Amino acid sequence: MEGIMHFFQHTGFAGTTPGNLLMIFVGLLFIWLAIRFEYEPLLLLPIGFGILLGNIPLPWQPGLQIGVQEEGSVMNLLYMGVLKGIFPPLIFLGIGAMTDFSPLISNPKLILLGAAAQLGIFLTYIGAITLGFGNLDSAAIGIIGGADGPTAIFLSSRLAPHLIGAITIAAYIYMALIPVIQPPVMRLLTTEKERKIRMKPPRSVSRKEKVLFPVIGVLLTGFIAPASLPLLGMFFLGNLLRESMVTARLADTARNALIDVVSIILGVTIGASAQATTFLTRNSLQIFILGAGAFVISTAGGVLFAKMMNLVLPEGSKVNPLIGAAGVSAVPNSAQVAHREGLKADPTNHLIMHAMAPNVAGVIGSALAAGIMLGYLL
Amino acid sequence: MGNHMTNSTPILPVDFSAITKEQMIFAVFGYVTVIGSLFLLFILFSLMPAMRRRKQKKLVRTQGLPESAAAVVPGEVSAAIALALSLYLEELHDQETAILTIKKAAKNYSPWNSKIYNVINFNQIKR
Repeated sequence: MEGIMHFFQHTGFAGTTPGNLLMIFVGLLFIWLAIRFEYEPLLLLPIGFGILLGNIPLPWQPGLQIGVQEEGSVMNLLYMGVLKGIFPPLIFLGIGAMTDFSPLISNPKLILLGAAAQLGIFLTYIGAITLGFGNLDSAAIGIIGGADGPTAIFLSSRLAPHLIGAITIAAYIYMALIPVIQPPVMRLLTTEKERKIRMKPPRSVSRKEKVLFPVIGVLLTGFIAPASLPLLGMFFLGNLLRESMVTARLADTARNALIDVVSIILGVTIGASAQATTFLTRNSLQIFILGAGAFVISTAGGVLFAKMMNLVLPEGSKVNPLIGAAGVSAVPNSAQVAHREGLKADPTNHLIMHAMAPNVAGVIGSALAAGIMLGYLL
Repeated sequence: MGNHMTNSTPILPVDFSAITKEQMIFAVFGYVTVIGSLFLLFILFSLMPAMRRRKQKKLVRTQGLPESAAAVVPGEVSAAIALALSLYLEELHDQETAILTIKKAAKNYSPWNSKIYNVINFNQIKR
């Protein structure tokens, strides 16, 4: 009997807490959302699975080196890529190699919507301060409003590593819930007439313009916010690999194999780091509330800025304010939401190409905001 | 940090006095900087079509082409041309050549596919 008890002490059941069970439920929920509704499956599924891995209690045995928080373990070594901010720039390289800036280059005024939608970042920063978070923690929480997972990981790994799990999971869960969060805000802030606005078809973009964009982009953003270079440098490099058309193999690796490998490791380790003891805190709950607010404010910021632009734009060049919501950098989810909302108002009005412009500008805007925060606060 | 949920203080204890003047300035300045940076990008890329048109007009003048040649092609026209070209190139095989050629079926000789050679060797090894 003693032997059986000794064996039981070495199983995961022995140390299971209600917190572990709750987190396992959250992990299963993520997996279900990813498979059933295809909400950000590329990240929610590895994160959900990682939560399962991180919340199976491990027998305490010195030198076993299993857990993600245990120094020297395989999971811990992989997690270093998150803590040291290695994975986000690699993901940005892949995103850059996937991104087509043509809609943005053909209608450059839409860049401004990507900037305006970063309002949520800075207002949430202030909001977090009012809740008693420190300056650095507040900045890391604020970045959730950028709706950009890699940027959130990068900034929180620099400014608030102890909050990285909660911030990242909040960012990804709200990115997955964009089709639920954004439409009510968009409908509330726009009239039926505004939602029916048809935009001019984009002009053709030359190869020279496409090559110039990443070069000018990196020089401009790099000089303004050098701390954003790990993200934006890799982002524009990936785009140049794509648009130069002379490095097809490199661009192909960056947008497929590399980003896939990094996404798997990133998702699993982030999930595994969300353990009940560190995750189920009041702070996490506050971060989730602030994150939801950040998404709503960013969406509203983009839509309202589009409406303001329409006050000065001539007839025929007006912007459909729905695409302002795509200024948050959840690519391409928020652009798809804008497109779908546009179709509900007018089934023949296709906004997807127009919405992609603020959407990719939002990626630049949120990384730039992260760079500004990092440069100023550290 | 790290307060557990069992703590009895309210979840959202909002305290506006916690905001310092410097933090407020940073938030405003940060947001304005993001907008300003992307505004510069907007200005630069707004100039591109004008530069492109000027270059095309110059080309038209030097080569003596009609004025209409300098017009910027709308994206939908480019897309239609690209689609037509793509369809044309994909459908080229609809007009097949009537000449049929029979490919040479015989394999080149190699010690690897030579039955006799292998058998001889096999016998030699056996001996």
